[in-house]
Amino acid sequence: MKTSLSKQQDNRKEIELFIGPQHPASGHMRFIGRVDGDIFTNFIPDPGWVHRGIEKIAENRKWIQIIPLVERAAILDAANMNIGYVIALEKLLDIEPPPRAQYLRTLLCEINRITSHLYGFGIAGIMIGSSTFYMWPFADREPLIDIAQLITGARLTYSYMIPGGVRRDLPQGFKEKALKALKYIERRLNNDYFRIFFDNPVTKARYQEVGVLKRDDAIRLGIVGPNLRASNVKYDVRKVEPYAAYPELEFDIAYEKEGDCYARLLVRVEEIRQSIKIIRQILDALPQGPIIHKKYEKLVSLRKLEEYQKTGIFGLPAIFTVLRPPAGEVISRVEAARGELIFHIISTGELRPYRLRMVTPSFRNIVLFRELISGARVMDFPAIYGSIDYFPPESDR
Amino acid sequence: MEIVDLILNILLHPSIFVPLIFPGFITILIIIILLIWAERKVAAKIQMRIGPLYVTRRFGGILQLLADLLRYMFAEVITSKDSDKFIFIASPIVALTATLLPLAVIPAGSLLGIELIALRTNISLLAALALSSLTPIFIIIMGWASNNKFALMGSLREGHLMISYEVPLYLSALSVAILHGSLDIVDIVNNQQRVWTVLINPFAAFSFFISVIMSTSRFPFEITESDSELVAGPYTEYSSILYGLVMGVPYMRLYVFTLLFVDLFLGGWYPLIDGFSSITLIIKVLIILLFSVFLRSVYPRYRLDQAIRIGWHILFTLSLISITLSLLIIGWVM
Repeated sequence: MKTSLSKQQDNRKEIELFIGPQHPASGHMRFIGRVDGDIFTNFIPDPGWVHRGIEKIAENRKWIQIIPLVERAAILDAANMNIGYVIALEKLLDIEPPPRAQYLRTLLCEINRITSHLYGFGIAGIMIGSSTFYMWPFADREPLIDIAQLITGARLTYSYMIPGGVRRDLPQGFKEKALKALKYIERRLNNDYFRIFFDNPVTKARYQEVGVLKRDDAIRLGIVGPNLRASNVKYDVRKVEPYAAYPELEFDIAYEKEGDCYARLLVRVEEIRQSIKIIRQILDALPQGPIIHKKYEKLVSLRKLEEYQKTGIFGLPAIFTVLRPPAGEVISRVEAARGELIFHIISTGELRPYRLRMVTPSFRNIVLFRELISGARVMDFPAIYGSIDYFPPESDR
Repeated sequence: MEIVDLILNILLHPSIFVPLIFPGFITILIIIILLIWAERKVAAKIQMRIGPLYVTRRFGGILQLLADLLRYMFAEVITSKDSDKFIFIASPIVALTATLLPLAVIPAGSLLGIELIALRTNISLLAALALSSLTPIFIIIMGWASNNKFALMGSLREGHLMISYEVPLYLSALSVAILHGSLDIVDIVNNQQRVWTVLINPFAAFSFFISVIMSTSRFPFEITESDSELVAGPYTEYSSILYGLVMGVPYMRLYVFTLLFVDLFLGGWYPLIDGFSSITLIIKVLIILLFSVFLRSVYPRYRLDQAIRIGWHILFTLSLISITLSLLIIGWVM
C-alpha cells in the first residue's frame, strides 16, 4: 500500500498530507492522504503506532495470564475481549459455566457495550468541534463504570470472567443502583443528547449523506459491527451464533438503511437502548445457583470455599496457574462493542498456547478509511473517522 | 502640578485616550481576559466541569488568561527552519495592529464630557469597514510564511471564507447607511435615538451578525483553525508570545466588530446616562460578546463548502433584501 504513495507522482496539483501520529485528530496512528484542493484523491491508513504484539506475547504467557493481556487491546471494551478469549478456552477445556455465571457475563458485556458506545459518541462529537458532546458522553460513562466496579471491583479492566465462570457474585443492593444508573443514561440519551447533538442542524449537515457505505460494499469489504448494520445488513453475532445468556434474552438487532455517518451514530443510539433492555431483563431474571463450574469449586481450599459461600467472591484458584488444556484448535466468535471479535487458538497441551490469533473489529473496519475518505472533502475526514468509531489500540493489538 | 496637568491633558485627549484606554488597548485587554474566562466558565458549566480555577482560586480563576499570557511571554519563540522568518514574525504584529485600526473611527459615546472618537470624518463607516478588511490578508500571509501544509490549507480556507462573508457584511452595513442617509457612524447612532435599526431592518442585523461570527471564526464557523484536521490552521507553527498575539487577533476582531454592530444596529450609546454614555454602550457590547462565545457550547462546526454556501446563498440574499428594504423605507418616508 505504501509503495504506491511514496512513488513520486508528477502531479503538481496535489499535495501529500501526513496526518498523525502527532496530530489532534489522528489518534494513535498515521494517515497518508493526497489532497487536490479540498478533496482527498487518495487516503491510506497507516496503522501500527501502538502495536504491542499481543499475539506474540500470548505465546509466552500461561493460559490464565492471557486474560488480562487480551483485555488491553481495547480497555473500554475489556469485558467483550475477555469473554471472547474465555469462551475459546472453555471450548478447549470442554466445560460449560453455570447459568448464573452466563447471565453475569452478559450483564458486564452489555455495560461495557454502552460505555464503549458513549466513548465513541464523545469522539464523534469532538471530531466535528462539539466540545459539549465531547464532555457529556465521557462524563455519563461514570455511573456505568461505577456499577461495573460494584460487580467486579475494577473500573476498566475487569478480568472478571475466568474459565468455568466468573470471579465474583453481585453485591447486596446492586439491582437498585443499576436501575438508577440505567434510568439516568436513558434520560440523557433520549433527551439531552438529541437536543444538543443528534438533532442539531450543524451535526446533520456534517453527518448526513457523508461517507455513505453501500450495502454491497459493506458486505464485500467484510465490515463488522454497527458500521455494517448501519448499511442495512442485519448481522449480529449475538443472534447468529448466540453465546453466554443471549439465547434466552429478548432484544432486536439495531440497523439503519442509509449507510451514512449519521446512520452509524443512530445505530449506536439504538444499540444502547437495546443494551439497557437486556440489562433490565438480566436484573429481573437472574437465575440462582453457583457462579463457577463444579469442577473448579473443589479445587480451592476449604477456607476459601467458606469465604466464597459467605461473600460470593470466588477469586482465582491457584491451580489455574498450571492449567493445561488438551491439544486442539478452537475458534470463538463474539460481538464486541465495535463488531465481531474472533479468537483462534491452537493448543498443544502445554502450559502456554502454541498460537493465539485475535481478529479485532477495528482491524476489520480499518479499510473503511480508504473506501470512504478517498474522494471525500478534507473536512469530512474527522467526521468519517468519528462515525466509524475506530480505536487504534484495538486494531494494532 | 503643571506636569501632571499636562500629562492628564495629553492622556485625556481623544486621539490618545481612545486608542490607548477606552475603547482601545487597555479596555480590550481587560475585556478579553474577562471574555475568555467567561467563555470557559460558561462552557464548563454546560459541560458539567469546573473550568479554570487554579489561578486566583478565590475569584473563580479569573486571572487564568493573564497567567497564560505571562507564560507565553517567557517562552522561546520558535521559528521553523524553512519559514520566511521576517514575515513570519512580523505578520502577527501587523495583523494585531490592523485589527485595532478601525477603533480610530468608531465612536464610543462620551465619558465625562469627552467625545470618544479619535478621528471624526463623514465617511467613518466606510473607513471602519475598509480598515477591518486588512486583518485577513495578514492571516493568509501567516500561513504562507509558516511553510507548513496545514498552515497553508488554513490560510486558503480563510481566503475562501473572506470572500463569502465580506460581501454580505459590507452590503448589510451599506443598507444601514442608506436607511439613515449617512456614512458617518455618529450620525447613524444619533438617528437611532427613538428606534433602533435592528427593529427597522432585522435582515441587515442578522446577516451582519452572522458575517461577524464567520469573520472572527466563532462556532459554528470555526473553520480556519479547525483543530480536528488542521491542527491550528494558519497559526500551527506559532509559539510563545506570537501565539498569544495570533490567538488574541480573532477576539479583538470580534470586539471591534461588536462595537460596530452595537453602533449600527443597537442604538449605540442610547439610552443616555448623563456624562457616562459609554457605559450603556459597553454593556451592550458585553452582552453581544457573551452571546458570540456562548455559541461554542452549542454548535459543532460547519464544513468549509457549507459555510461558503451559507455566505453566498443565505447571507448574500439577506443583505440584498435588507438593501431593498432600506430603499423602500426611505422611499416611503420621503
